[in-house]
Amino acid sequence: MNQSELLLKHLPNDIGGLASDGFQRVDHPLEPWEKRCHALADVLDYHKLINTEEKRRGVEALGGEMIGKLSYYQRWIAAFAHILFEKAILTPDELARKMAEVEARFQPSEEP
Amino acid sequence: MSTHDHGHDHGTHDDHESNHTAITSTDALPSYYEIMEIAVRELLIERQLITAGEIRRQIEVLDSRNPALGAKIVARAWLDSEFRARLLANGRAACEDEGITFYDDTQLIVVENTDTVHNLLVCTLCSCYPRPVLGLPPDWYKLKPYRARAVKEPRALLAEFGTVIPDDVEIRVSDSTAVVRYLVLPKRPAGTDDFDEEQLAALVTRDAMIGVVPVTVPSAGDQP
Repeated sequence: MNQSELLLKHLPNDIGGLASDGFQRVDHPLEPWEKRCHALADVLDYHKLINTEEKRRGVEALGGEMIGKLSYYQRWIAAFAHILFEKAILTPDELARKMAEVEARFQPSEEP
Repeated sequence: MSTHDHGHDHGTHDDHESNHTAITSTDALPSYYEIMEIAVRELLIERQLITAGEIRRQIEVLDSRNPALGAKIVARAWLDSEFRARLLANGRAACEDEGITFYDDTQLIVVENTDTVHNLLVCTLCSCYPRPVLGLPPDWYKLKPYRARAVKEPRALLAEFGTVIPDDVEIRVSDSTAVVRYLVLPKRPAGTDDFDEEQLAALVTRDAMIGVVPVTVPSAGDQP
């Protein structure tokens, strides 16, 4: 099986049975934003805006390179944004404007 | 997290590298993805598609779930054969009878370890896990080495947890999905005949309910 056939048969999430090196028993307590992201996922599922399987497929749709570069909850929020665009619930412009607004809140205020 | 530039690359141990470097800011400045989380959440609240209260309540729900819930279920099943039968017949219904609510649309299948069968849980596709009864999964459960190897070489993987399963014991690996989750009912350890439910529950760990370790009784020397 050549490389492209392998990629076709195993989407990025489909790793059961693949060769993998070292296992380490790693864990970390969730950061506050990660926990909020998890709660957001559950609330989105609750309202059927994005269900669990849509979320999983949304992460897969990020592609192997992005999946490799993002942490677990970074993948989730990136997938949520894409899915909400696809469903025409949000537009990329709206999100970009809101992100700029949020970012501005955290900038040190410039006192005269 | 005490160190701010750590933690954002967890979850990528499953891949070959984790070289994004966005998180080098001071403590006051949230990361790009944190800003995205805030922005998405606020936009959805402004559209009245979700509410801030729902997010707050769900955080409380997440905080309220931990392996002690599953441990109580296991201890109960060891002591009450009628409950054990109900638990094995319909895990979700039996847990709900015990007051554990299922906040997600998932079914729960409880798989029982015996002298001839050892069960192991995995989610090869992502990180599905019996969250209502165990809380959130540990990072290693979500990473590639565990997910890739559990279905291919479970004995070797279990050995890395220090769990050696005899060759004449069958290993059954259950692969979780978005709607079907599993919980291992471990074997009750010997020497616990006099234990009450609370004492038994104290022995049952998260990892035992994932199936990567057995339930053991601390040796006399370990006890206070």
